[in-house]
Amino acid sequence: MLIKNATVLTVTKGTLTETDVLVKDGKIAQIGKNLAAPQGSKTIDATGLFVMPGIIDAHSHIAIDGINEASSPVTAEVAEGDVINPTQISIYRALGGGITAVHAMHGSANAIGGQCETLKLRYGTFDNDAMKMEGAPRTIKFALGENPTRVHGAGNSIVPRTRMGVEFVIRRSFSDAKKYAEDWDNYNKNKLVKGFRGAPPVYNLRLEILAEILKGNIIIHCHSYRADEIFMLLNVCKDFGIKRLVFQHVNEGFKVAPELAAYGAMASVFSDWWAYKFEVYYSTAYNAAILTRNGVVTSINSDDAEMMRHLYHEAAKTQKYGGLSDDEALSLVTINPAKQLGIDSRTGSLEVGKDADIAIFKNHPLSVYGVPQYTIVDGIVRFDRANDPADMRLMVDPKQNVEDASVLSDKGRDNCMDGTEFLFGDFSDADKK
Amino acid sequence: MLAMIACSWWPKTISAQDEKPAVAPVGRTYAITNVNIVQAPGRKIDQGVVVMKDGLITAVGKGIAIPPEAIVIKADSMYVYAGFIDGLSHTGIPKPKEERERDREKVKDPGNPPADRAGITPQTDVRNLINPADKSVEELRGLGFTVSQVVPYGNFLPGSAAIVLLGGKSPDDMVLVSNSALYSELTGSQNVYPSTIMAVMAKFRELYKNASLNKSYQSLYATNRNAISRPESDRILEAFYPVIDQRIPVLFKSERVMETQRVFTLKNDLSFSLIIGDVKEGWPIIPKIKSSGAKVFLSLDLPDEVKKEEKKDDKKGAKKDSVKTEPKKETVKPKTALDLEKEALEKRKKESIALYASQSNEFSKAGLTFGFSAMSAKTKDIQANLRRMIKAGLSEDAALAGLTTSPAQLLGLSDRLGTIDVGKMANLVVSYKPYFDEKSKVRYVFVDGNIYKIDAKEVKKADDKVSAIGSWSYSTETPQGTATGKLVIKGDKGSYSGTITNSFTGKTVDLKNVELDGNKLSFTFPYDDNGQSLTIQVLVEIDGNSFEGTMSPGPDGSFPVKATKDPKF
Repeated sequence: MLIKNATVLTVTKGTLTETDVLVKDGKIAQIGKNLAAPQGSKTIDATGLFVMPGIIDAHSHIAIDGINEASSPVTAEVAEGDVINPTQISIYRALGGGITAVHAMHGSANAIGGQCETLKLRYGTFDNDAMKMEGAPRTIKFALGENPTRVHGAGNSIVPRTRMGVEFVIRRSFSDAKKYAEDWDNYNKNKLVKGFRGAPPVYNLRLEILAEILKGNIIIHCHSYRADEIFMLLNVCKDFGIKRLVFQHVNEGFKVAPELAAYGAMASVFSDWWAYKFEVYYSTAYNAAILTRNGVVTSINSDDAEMMRHLYHEAAKTQKYGGLSDDEALSLVTINPAKQLGIDSRTGSLEVGKDADIAIFKNHPLSVYGVPQYTIVDGIVRFDRANDPADMRLMVDPKQNVEDASVLSDKGRDNCMDGTEFLFGDFSDADKK
Repeated sequence: MLAMIACSWWPKTISAQDEKPAVAPVGRTYAITNVNIVQAPGRKIDQGVVVMKDGLITAVGKGIAIPPEAIVIKADSMYVYAGFIDGLSHTGIPKPKEERERDREKVKDPGNPPADRAGITPQTDVRNLINPADKSVEELRGLGFTVSQVVPYGNFLPGSAAIVLLGGKSPDDMVLVSNSALYSELTGSQNVYPSTIMAVMAKFRELYKNASLNKSYQSLYATNRNAISRPESDRILEAFYPVIDQRIPVLFKSERVMETQRVFTLKNDLSFSLIIGDVKEGWPIIPKIKSSGAKVFLSLDLPDEVKKEEKKDDKKGAKKDSVKTEPKKETVKPKTALDLEKEALEKRKKESIALYASQSNEFSKAGLTFGFSAMSAKTKDIQANLRRMIKAGLSEDAALAGLTTSPAQLLGLSDRLGTIDVGKMANLVVSYKPYFDEKSKVRYVFVDGNIYKIDAKEVKKADDKVSAIGSWSYSTETPQGTATGKLVIKGDKGSYSGTITNSFTGKTVDLKNVELDGNKLSFTFPYDDNGQSLTIQVLVEIDGNSFEGTMSPGPDGSFPVKATKDPKF
């Protein structure tokens, strides 16, 4: 496929005008002027249009059947990758907003939640494995603050009920995992010794995964708001030698920006979404800009199926609040989330050799007039505004009445607490105890 | 005289007939005569005989000598098929009372609940839960099913499966194969771990892995139990051992397309043998199902078809115009965008329903062997759903195969089930018309060589036209002459009684077992001839004010009987 004569926003290597992008075998084959289209290939005339890397949402809950395994404060063994649902229509709608990859996450009900999955929005298949991004690093969800303490402490009177409880749960989990790994290493070593007749330790999938985190094989993505708890986790990770750490939401990140940068921890934030809980009161729309200026790799995410459809405008807000440049602002939704997901060698910018994940806009994406026209994932056009059928559902519910289809969802915007409603006790009574 | 002739007709074995038919018939030999036999899809014998004895088929074909002790079932113009096999359901398992979540004892630590709350009871033997008198057995049998693979109620790991006959006095009577599979569902427990599908899957893997480790250690320990710690005894993990040994499969309920694929994920991770049951949305992933090697039982349940709602709009229009009395003008309003969108959505819904109905045909076209599962289908809808599948393209032969030969093969029971052949179990279904015909009703079902007469409740409507009540003058042609008499029927629907006189004996005797099945009247009466007590069976068809049929003193002979109703004065 050849995209002709566009303004190409590579994000990492500057902006090129009247330039072509050649896509071959799902990869960006060439970027230059007056490229030749191979015989029989599709050509998109992008004259006057803007071509940017496909947008990556580092915090999403679409395309999965199940968000919170909220029955226990530590559930590292569950994996969103087991419950991918490629038939959800929200995937197509995200494509309509220029998104090519999402980080499908476990919710924030648990101090240590489940493993997340990085997905490419290859919409149109029923195959549950087809959207998984091959080779993407493993990630896991942690959560600090009010969510885990409400769900488990207030809801079920089990640890954690306070922020110090959250810290304890995480530290204890890591210690247990360390011991578990040692026990298994010993067993595996002794097993080879002649005449050894010992019993193996119990296989505990939860501790297996936690041990993998300690080994550096899984990136922690931690839901957090307050500066004190962010700082707490930095210390915990330092104690256990964990380097791969990304904070999510991080509304008070601006308070600890230098510390985050020094540790090498990254931050994925909202543009201007706050005050919906006590722990989110002290916030600022300048958060992303301040973090960026202090050397923290920062991304802007949506955590919402609707907001993700205009993430490019969310990024643009940092130009008003913080004066970020075009490339800095675009980085927040392209190469930076790619770095946070460990997939920056594959996608997140328009460079030869990278996956052909491309979004083509009418008017600049950071302009309030920006409208996505094409969204291309791995070199395949998955969204074409001019050829956008009214009903793109893959499966149609044979039992749902057409009259009853509702337009507005009455769920709150924050999907992070999905599936935990049943655990909520009466808070007033809990505090009186 | 009758007695002398009678003696020459019947063998001595039928000398002491029981007067009370409530006791099981003497011997289990039956002959279905003059019936259209569908031995298997594509193998038919018109108007032949099927003979069975003590639960096994002993003869099939034309011109077969009927054993003297056989109870003859006259099945003129009826059709007999091998009894149907259901691959997955809860038939015979009483449905547990639904406990409201708030009434249940609250679990202290929802992250570590007791095993039964977590749905982890794979060691439960379904045989301990079977109730032969559960209505579901009679209901499914009434459709022609003779065998079911049944599982306990519950989520995640409710227990083992067993293949049972749909008839018998005790659970053991019914069981054909015990522990036929380990049953599982990817459904979580409410409020406790594991509650989500992903947690169920993680827990499944962990249990399986620990079962493997335990099993290996047990083998190691068994070689020398000295000086090492003993293996833990764990009933839950032990339930996985036969699966790990590849001796039994895991039977998963997999209704939906994503659910089925998640089951495949577990299969690929753990390498167990797999049966998927009650599959409703298999058609988008047929190649994946094929390559998985899983055995398939498609659901007999289909989504309801869309009812034509056109009248509703007319009524709405009429309401608005109720004030006006003149007839409405026939103006056609141009369709709004909303109307068009609604139409398009309705169209897609209709197409979606059609996809569910054509699923089995897609499997058939793809060359995939499949059986059927009665798990979520309502018994009253099953025959209609099969007809919907046939209307959507499934051949009748393929439908029959899915009910008989294919499930027999998939369950490893082809040697004794699935066709009407000599040596196979006497599991049969006899219907008035070809089974897949519109309005076809089942007449008899044989399970393990025991006969079950199916009461077609709908036929009661015909009662209004046919009245057996009254006095009838009958005559019957016996070898020694014509016997005549009066037959009086009294009573009401469901409880008839009566008397009969006989010109040979001059006596009046009471009728027993008077039954009216549509227009078919049957009863028995005792006949004492020179000290020998016989029970004469009478079966006649009433047509208005006359009837015709047969009277039989035993299996060997029957005499034609005719009657006309006596006019009332």
